[in-house]
Amino acid sequence: MATNILINGEAHVSTREPMTPLLDVLREELFLTGAKSVCREGICGACIVHLDGQPVVSCLVPVGTLEGREVRTVESLAAEGEPSPLQQVMEEHDVVQCGMCFPGILMTLTSFFRERPDAGRDEVKAALVGNICRCTGYERIVDAAIALAKRS
Amino acid sequence: MARSIDDAVAALADRADATALAGGTWIMRAPIRREPPIRFCVGLTRIPELNAVDISASEIRIGACVTHARLVSALAGVRGCEGLVTAAGSAANPAVRQMATIGGNLCASAFPASDLAPSLLSLDAEVELSGPGGDERLPVGRFLERRGSLEPGILLTAVVIPRRALKSGHARLPLRKAGDYPVAIVSMTAELRGDGAVEDIRVTVGSVEASPRRWTQLEQALLGRRLDPNGAYDLAQAEAHIFTGRDGVDAPGWYRVQVLPALARRAAQAVLAGP
Ligand SMILES: Cc1cc2nc3c(=O)[nH]c(=O)nc-3n(C[C@H](O)[C@H](O)[C@H](O)COP(=O)(O)OP(=O)(O)OC[C@H]3O[C@@H](n4cnc5c(N)ncnc54)[C@H](O)[C@@H]3O)c2cc1C
Ligand code: FES
Ligand code: FES
Repeated sequence: MATNILINGEAHVSTREPMTPLLDVLREELFLTGAKSVCREGICGACIVHLDGQPVVSCLVPVGTLEGREVRTVESLAAEGEPSPLQQVMEEHDVVQCGMCFPGILMTLTSFFRERPDAGRDEVKAALVGNICRCTGYERIVDAAIALAKRS
Repeated sequence: MARSIDDAVAALADRADATALAGGTWIMRAPIRREPPIRFCVGLTRIPELNAVDISASEIRIGACVTHARLVSALAGVRGCEGLVTAAGSAANPAVRQMATIGGNLCASAFPASDLAPSLLSLDAEVELSGPGGDERLPVGRFLERRGSLEPGILLTAVVIPRRALKSGHARLPLRKAGDYPVAIVSMTAELRGDGAVEDIRVTVGSVEASPRRWTQLEQALLGRRLDPNGAYDLAQAEAHIFTGRDGVDAPGWYRVQVLPALARRAAQAVLAGP
């Protein structure tokens, strides 16, 4: 069965088994390796992408359910080669350690700030409960996010 | 992907190995639970009726495929639903809440830690089922008892909550502040008289035993008195012995029971804090 999906603005036809996780389609078929395959059970958030604009854990999304839907991955954030304001603030604050959690954190915060551009510290922390950073850089991540919220 | 309830019921009846698929957040983890992977699914999320939320003066009807995130936005500020909004908005994490549905949460058998189940039980909700033999409506508690042995081809189509002059609260204890499954849950729905006395009350306990259930002994003790969080704590302390906690990797059984009085106090606080 073929599934037509719009991925980062480009039409894609996936012929994988319908129950294949979207994460595997992204990484193995399209070589979009930004989303990471880590826990594969929805806990760590390293695989988060946007589905029709909302963050989802791509490890738990069966590709067969995606006919006609739009997926955006971390690769789309700097589409013109220019990092997004969120990416820039993370770089300025030198937040990234190993980087494993980062694609997911960027996708969570990108959609979160769209709805709550001037969010406070507690709200940012609550938004990030599904993103585990194994290098435990949480405070610096939140500091950088707050710096961005203050600019808005 | 089915387009109508009839389509889905027919497709499920047609193949013995077919499974209903809603948000997928339970089904997709089958390999991690060491269950055989599920190959043939009938997708429900594109069926329009299953995505509707209808709020009338007498009841609230929630389609089975309404996600946790949608529940929060659709029921925010609706009187009586405070506890359900807390349950839907604090279960799991934001990206899972975006996909996980109310129907999938109730139908995932062998899942003791559900937030929605005890909350809906305290709200006296009913569920509607559709199957090859027709439609049926039954209390959520009866459904939870039956869910492990549902005949193939039966779909949960909607959850219906009666509207009365109620206030509700949901107190859960995850091991971290958020993002974990709750170790124990107390959900409380009460009707208070003008003087603050309890006219009617339902208290349910989730995640402690294999299935959520009502805490009728505590309900009896609270009935007719002024609802007071510290009083609820003391009464709960005296009645907690009726539960036998399940041992799990997150917490031993005795711990789940030990925290119930504190959760009863928090649930009472939440009920009183409501509008
Ligand atoms: C990381 C993580 C953390 C979580 N934390 C919590 C938590 O704190 N609290 C909590 O309550 N839950 C939690 N969950 C569980 C989550 O809420 C459930 O996985 C989810 O609600 C299941 O819904 P779904 O739509 O994804 O179901 P699916 O996976 O699609 O289906 C689940 C089961 O129900 C059946 N089914 C689905 N819909 C119907 C229907 N309409 N009629 C008949 N059968 C149906 C399916 O066949 C399957 O057996 C967590 C999940 C994850 C991944
Ligand atoms: S890999 Fe998907 S949440 Fe961890
Ligand atoms: S930077 Fe290493 S996991 Fe977060």
